Amino acid sequence: MQTGFVRKLFKIKLKFTFMLIALVAAGRLFAQTDCEKKLTGKVLDINTEEPLPFATVKVVGSEYGVVSDSEGNFILTNICADEVDLEAQFLGYKKATHHHDFYKSDNVEMSHTFYLSPEENVLESIVVEGDKIVGDMQSMSVAKIGRSKLETEITGSLASALRNIQGVTFTSAGSNVQLPVIHGLYGNRILIINNGVKHGFQNWGTDHAPEIDISSADNISVLKGAAGVRYGPEALGGVVLVEGNPLKLSQKMYGSVTSGYQTNGRGYHANAQLGEGRKNFSYHFGGNYVKIGDRDARDYALTNTGMEERSANLGFRYHLPKWDFEVYYSYVDQELGLLRQSVAETGELFARYVAAPQPDSLFFRDFSYEIDEPKQNTTHHLAKLEIEWHTDIGDFILLLSQQVNLRKEFDVRRSAELPIIDLQLNTTDTRLEWYHPSLGGLQGTVGLQYFSQNNDNNPGTNTTAFIPNYNTDRVSIYAIENIQTGKNTYEFGLRLDHEFNSARGRERNQNIFTNEFSFTNFTASLGLVRDLSAKWQLRSNLGSAWRTPNMAELYSFGQHGFKVEYGLWRYYANEDGEFRTDRVLTEDDNAGKPERGYKLINELDYLEGERRFTVTAYANYIDNFIFDRPLAVIGFLWGPAPAYIFDQSDALFTGVDLTYSNAITKRVIGTFGASYIWSRNLERSEPLINQPPITVNAELSWETPSFLGLDFSKLTLLTSYTFQQFQAPRTITADQLISGEVEINASSEIFDFKDVPDAYFLGNVRWEWRSGRLGGQFEVRNILNTSYRDYLNEMRLFADDLGRNFLFTLNYKF
Amino acid sequence: MKNFKNYLLIGLLGMGFILTSCGDDDEVPAEENDPEVITDVTLVFTNTMDASDVVRASAQDPDDLGVQELMILDEITLTSGATYTLTFEILNALDPADVEDVGEEILDEDDEHQIFFSFTDGAFTSPMGDGNFDNPADPINYEDEDSMAQDGSGNPVGLETTWTAGNTLTDGFFTARLKHQPDQKTATSDIDVGEDDFNLMFVLNIE
Repeated sequence: MQTGFVRKLFKIKLKFTFMLIALVAAGRLFAQTDCEKKLTGKVLDINTEEPLPFATVKVVGSEYGVVSDSEGNFILTNICADEVDLEAQFLGYKKATHHHDFYKSDNVEMSHTFYLSPEENVLESIVVEGDKIVGDMQSMSVAKIGRSKLETEITGSLASALRNIQGVTFTSAGSNVQLPVIHGLYGNRILIINNGVKHGFQNWGTDHAPEIDISSADNISVLKGAAGVRYGPEALGGVVLVEGNPLKLSQKMYGSVTSGYQTNGRGYHANAQLGEGRKNFSYHFGGNYVKIGDRDARDYALTNTGMEERSANLGFRYHLPKWDFEVYYSYVDQELGLLRQSVAETGELFARYVAAPQPDSLFFRDFSYEIDEPKQNTTHHLAKLEIEWHTDIGDFILLLSQQVNLRKEFDVRRSAELPIIDLQLNTTDTRLEWYHPSLGGLQGTVGLQYFSQNNDNNPGTNTTAFIPNYNTDRVSIYAIENIQTGKNTYEFGLRLDHEFNSARGRERNQNIFTNEFSFTNFTASLGLVRDLSAKWQLRSNLGSAWRTPNMAELYSFGQHGFKVEYGLWRYYANEDGEFRTDRVLTEDDNAGKPERGYKLINELDYLEGERRFTVTAYANYIDNFIFDRPLAVIGFLWGPAPAYIFDQSDALFTGVDLTYSNAITKRVIGTFGASYIWSRNLERSEPLINQPPITVNAELSWETPSFLGLDFSKLTLLTSYTFQQFQAPRTITADQLISGEVEINASSEIFDFKDVPDAYFLGNVRWEWRSGRLGGQFEVRNILNTSYRDYLNEMRLFADDLGRNFLFTLNYKF
Repeated sequence: MKNFKNYLLIGLLGMGFILTSCGDDDEVPAEENDPEVITDVTLVFTNTMDASDVVRASAQDPDDLGVQELMILDEITLTSGATYTLTFEILNALDPADVEDVGEEILDEDDEHQIFFSFTDGAFTSPMGDGNFDNPADPINYEDEDSMAQDGSGNPVGLETTWTAGNTLTDGFFTARLKHQPDQKTATSDIDVGEDDFNLMFVLNIE
């Protein structure tokens, strides 16, 4: 029965292979069974990072061990077991153990770095598993932020933590609501994968940020290419991968407590983490609390810009030989204040607020932690079960996840105590993936995905639903393969998606409208990694991606914040070229078509010792690019109000990112970076709106000699210069529109309500230190107290950005 | 043990497929009663000496939050020297089959509402001046007061006012602006307090 079952299963798997990608490959289906496995690594001193020669590295439970060479390197060969516990020892140092699963590394030689801690040191020794491949997209430009960098950003948003990556910036609606922008694209063109699961949230507009607590992340990677094949539709601009605690086995109990204070907004935060890895299981949990009050620009207070966040996460992994079970749950609850000034009831007030050099004194209040309208309350739950099965015919991963996203938004309005938007979004993401072993040199993944979202408006808003209730169901099948020949690694991927949508909404007169529509789409990706020499590497990727317009982009209708907004299917131009909104459009009208993007990205990487140089050049052409833009100031009974529409046009984005870093002395490292992006609405030969300006930045870090008995001390100076955006649309003020001085119709050139802000220079200084278990950080942001406005911050219409901020953090690790 | 694992795998795969069988619904967003959506406002000037002498001037927003502009349908033409009582018809006609009288809602919340006026300086002999936009204490002949009056002298509402037309005038203006001032309305609350419910500027002629 046993063998019968296996045979049957094997048959199914085989069928699977043929069905999915028709891979005809006889040969080595059963790979590396014997004692050919190999492990390499390095043993270093945790403090000095100097190599430790003649350290012993052995396989626990066996007689087998080796001794590191003069550079600290070791090689363990002829290992038979599928999984081993490694142990590194050196006289006078604490020993370190590490659990390694061969089948997880899939033929790749894994390099391990053992950082041993001296006996007298309170810190434990640690082990870092070498360069893990991010996804399967080796040919794509990838930037990674590790745990230690994230710790310096603990109260910040996900987007702000990514801002130091070239080509990545953020768009925002004030300090609390920030979304990552990759090469000019944001929102639902950037996929956010949280712990392996697509973050299911109200991903539309610039005022809905992902509800992800970065203190729960172990590391964050950014893929700057169109990775739609691997991660699903919508990844036109790139992917942000948030990885949680890796839940390693064989780890002594570890934990940390962190707390801090910041002067701007008188914010404080507390964070606690605890985890342990035993022989066959591992667990981790953490909690985080942040509270910030009204913040300050250089010259005035920014009323109602406080926030409060509570979050918790827990993970559990159970390990059997060849099996891994992982359960993960996270919870985030946020209350986010928006600048009071940003809601103007009428166009005249809007015109006045936008024109005023600083917010109206009417809105000033004494410092307060109070969060009034306008504000957003969101709660996000994520639960995931992941099962990995490692077999002779590859690894199978089944991932089941469920997310619930609750969002309430409050405007300054009549019945302000009622939310104007009250939505519940349930997301189910189910995936089955097969990481198959080498088939004639071909390695890769084949996957099946079912993704489903159900969005409902909760009653009681006293406002016609801004977006409809909807259901989206998508079934996808994909394969990503790579093959290595000499110095080249070729990569290719294919994906087929079928998506079904059903929408049910109400017009302002409470009439019901419904629509059902579906899309089928192919996505492809082609990549190359070439080692030009020992120091130079070239990565090149051509990828396509697509996405259906978001329901908000199709169906938005109504007033929210300072805007009256119309979705793609809620307006049209009649025969006379006049805008009309008296009917709800469908897919039969010439509007609301899916976006299709084609992105070519090339990266050249030079690495020699401490010197590293990376240049990334890209071009992204997007068919039917959807964007939100001012339409006009429209007269309503209560007076004129600024109206915005979602519009669609063919667009091109192209640019270059540059990074250069080098050790100036042994202790001083300098980094220089720049990013440039050029974008254009090709169809209408006019600029796009809200595109990132050119930025350059320079960083100098100095690891100071030991003083005051500190184990570690580093001083970093970070500076950046942001140019004025030269590709912005023309400016037409609300006043000019209200007075009729300028008239706008369907064919008018794009405009914005305010001039682009001036260029600005920002400087930050940061000092990090550690003494045994205790560590800390002192940072001054905007040290020159520059008053500036960020072009990508919607609140730039009304007020300056944040002034100087002193941040103190204290951290205890055990 | 091995059998157990096989069953486990089958069970989990099964679970995946159960989740896959989609649970679509056809729930529609609940009907929401947008408070005081105003689509039509008519100013009704009735000659106090002659109830049959009625001057009506209307403004209409045909699609509420839609892109169609507010339409001022009439000019106001009054007779020099005559005295009029001004009242309002305020409607929500988004659904033609169910036209609501929003005036009643405003009356119910009269302690939160006030209509302010602005007009060509000296157009009326009573009230004098140019209205109370610039200064809430400027003369307007309010004939009503809100129900929240503590000592019997409440604050004006403006749903009923009187006007005596002055000398002849062509292409003057007359603006009526209804403010909603929840918890903010006082004897001194001015045009900058609260939000606009309507803000309508008509052409004023006096013959």
